[in-house]
Amino acid sequence: MRKAFIVAQSEFLTLVRSKAFLIGLILMPVVMGTSIMLVRATKDATDMKDRTFAVVDYTGVVAEPLTAVANMYNAGTASPLDAVLPRKGPRFIPVEIKPTGANPDELRVELSNRVRKQEFFAFVEVPAEILDPASTVAIRYYSDHPSYNALPQWLRATVNAVVLNERFRRASVDRALVVRLTKQAPINELGLFERGTDGEIKAAEQVNIARAYGIPVAVLALMYITIMSSAPQLLNSVIEEKMSRISEVLIGSVTPFELMMGKLVGGAAASMVLSAIYIAGGLIVVQYWGGGYASAVTGAIVAWFLLFLTLALFIFGSLFIAIGAACNDLKDSQNMMTPVMLLVMVPMFTAGSVLRAPDGTMATILSLVPTAAPFLMLLRISLQPGPPMWQIALSLIIMTCTAVAVVWAAGKIFRTGLLMQGKSATLTEMVKWVTAK
Amino acid sequence: MSNAISLTGVTKQFNGTRAVDDLSLSVPTGSIYGFIGPNGSGKTTTLRMIMHILLPDRGEIEVLGSRDTAAARDKVGYLPEERGLYKKMTIRRLLRYYGRLKGAPISDLDASTEYWMRRMELPGLLDRQIETLSKGMSQKIQFVAAVVANPSLVILDEPFSGLDPVNAQVLKDAVLEIRQRGATVVFSTHDMATAERMCDRIFMIFRGRKVLDGTLESIQSEYGADTVRIRTSHGAAALAGMPDVESVNDFGQLQEVRLQGDPQAFLTRLVARATVYHFEVTRPSLQDIFVRIAKP
Repeated sequence: MRKAFIVAQSEFLTLVRSKAFLIGLILMPVVMGTSIMLVRATKDATDMKDRTFAVVDYTGVVAEPLTAVANMYNAGTASPLDAVLPRKGPRFIPVEIKPTGANPDELRVELSNRVRKQEFFAFVEVPAEILDPASTVAIRYYSDHPSYNALPQWLRATVNAVVLNERFRRASVDRALVVRLTKQAPINELGLFERGTDGEIKAAEQVNIARAYGIPVAVLALMYITIMSSAPQLLNSVIEEKMSRISEVLIGSVTPFELMMGKLVGGAAASMVLSAIYIAGGLIVVQYWGGGYASAVTGAIVAWFLLFLTLALFIFGSLFIAIGAACNDLKDSQNMMTPVMLLVMVPMFTAGSVLRAPDGTMATILSLVPTAAPFLMLLRISLQPGPPMWQIALSLIIMTCTAVAVVWAAGKIFRTGLLMQGKSATLTEMVKWVTAK
Repeated sequence: MSNAISLTGVTKQFNGTRAVDDLSLSVPTGSIYGFIGPNGSGKTTTLRMIMHILLPDRGEIEVLGSRDTAAARDKVGYLPEERGLYKKMTIRRLLRYYGRLKGAPISDLDASTEYWMRRMELPGLLDRQIETLSKGMSQKIQFVAAVVANPSLVILDEPFSGLDPVNAQVLKDAVLEIRQRGATVVFSTHDMATAERMCDRIFMIFRGRKVLDGTLESIQSEYGADTVRIRTSHGAAALAGMPDVESVNDFGQLQEVRLQGDPQAFLTRLVARATVYHFEVTRPSLQDIFVRIAKP
């Protein structure tokens, strides 16, 4: 395998010196960092345009206190109503419209037209029955901006708080007392106690949701980025060698299997470098600016990551290499790549379910599927307390067997496809090459 | 004399078509051996089997004394017909890579690279990127890549095609130098004049089967002295309707005529038709023999 090593060395140098690698290395963190900073910088200042809305109050007692609360909210002073949160977005300016007593639909049409003319952003009807605790009537909110939900959310909280106040007043109950008596105790989520090697009891740490989910999601994203930026490069390398007839010179010197293994090992090494740089960079960032999250990235997680990444690269890398060898040009290879890309994408689509229920049946089954395991088993390992050891071992055994089978089959396609010129192979032909003695 | 390459009963089929059919041949060590044959006759397939790029369906191939052609691969330099290089690599890195794949140490490779670059009249270009080279330069670099690891056997598939006369001359001299150093050279060509001038032995393959194998002399003598070269006042028109003319290869100023009968009787009849400036009884050229065999 000395020659495979020489091929790997050349492949590695070509990959890490390529513009695509350098651009990926610099651009990806820059884009992600800029996006995060932009989101943080603009999350409270995205839309500060005043929202003036009409209030049609059929109770006769809601509009006035609603206007008073809105004024306090807009001024940024604390509201006496618990349900009203401090202002983050635009000002909400209510304008009371007295019900005319005529057909309410006439008024609705008139107000709808005023919304269309942009005199109002929306209008809201507070039905008279709402003051009856037994009533199931709803507050009606009319707008031509159905995707804007800050105002209806504010109205739901504020109108309900005003209505509750009025209900308590009518029942001669002191609302402040009720609030005090019904105040709920918060729950403090903690980890587990443990006894250290020196016999001392180590107190449980506060659970940090961002930290508990942030690290697994980051590990998943890094796996995806590394595979997507490395495996397709192998396809490009094979296509280039095939189209420019370099492959014939190479397999005059090395066996096709040595050539393919060299490419896989070189590609895997380049990916390791890429991920090592990302991990190191990420750790430095979170160490200095991430509130000590770096300690959550344990050596075990990094080791599992590298192990799953290696196996994933052998599986996906072999598939991409086989496609490269079977295709006649880049255009054909794009079509053939689609099913393999889907294999990479599917675990990303299902990652949300695994995050919500990492020990559920679906998560367990999916994390044993060899093409999904590098993403989903790794995700489960990163989520505390992690899957049982037998599941990790089983997934590694399945992945290793799959990697061996895929490398073997890809080797057979590679050997034949590399010398085939003029047309791309069909799936049937590829199956024939694999099954041929 | 030992053989650098021996093929015995080699057959290779593609989709039921026999590209090479029961082929046997021996390439003596230290010789320049020419492969000729029409397009699609099986030359490249044969060379690829010798290089272990393709495996024969039947028969045996021995290269440099080893039946395991893969084992001999490090001692064989190969220039394929369809040529390509890594566009983004420098010449130095490319030659090191190809040389190391042949098992040569970097120190030897660097010295060899310097020598061959000068020899091919490409000095000072080692750190140039391949994509900046002209077609002729690239072709010469590919030749250097085939010989940089100092192989005992060099296989060149159409090495002169596409080269201008100056570069072709440089390459021809380099090929002769390799032979002088003791290596065996096998090359395929469509240029019969080059094959005639350079090769110790010539092998022709047609429809997958061997049709010629031997020295130029032995091949020519096999085809007899039935060819005359003439130059007359009437050109090819002087030959019209002559009964003993089997075929005419008209070069304009000169005609190469294959006869069925006695050359002296033909001359007598020709003098009666036109003024004869030149009359030479000769053996058929390789070109003529090639056409005789391959003509449909």
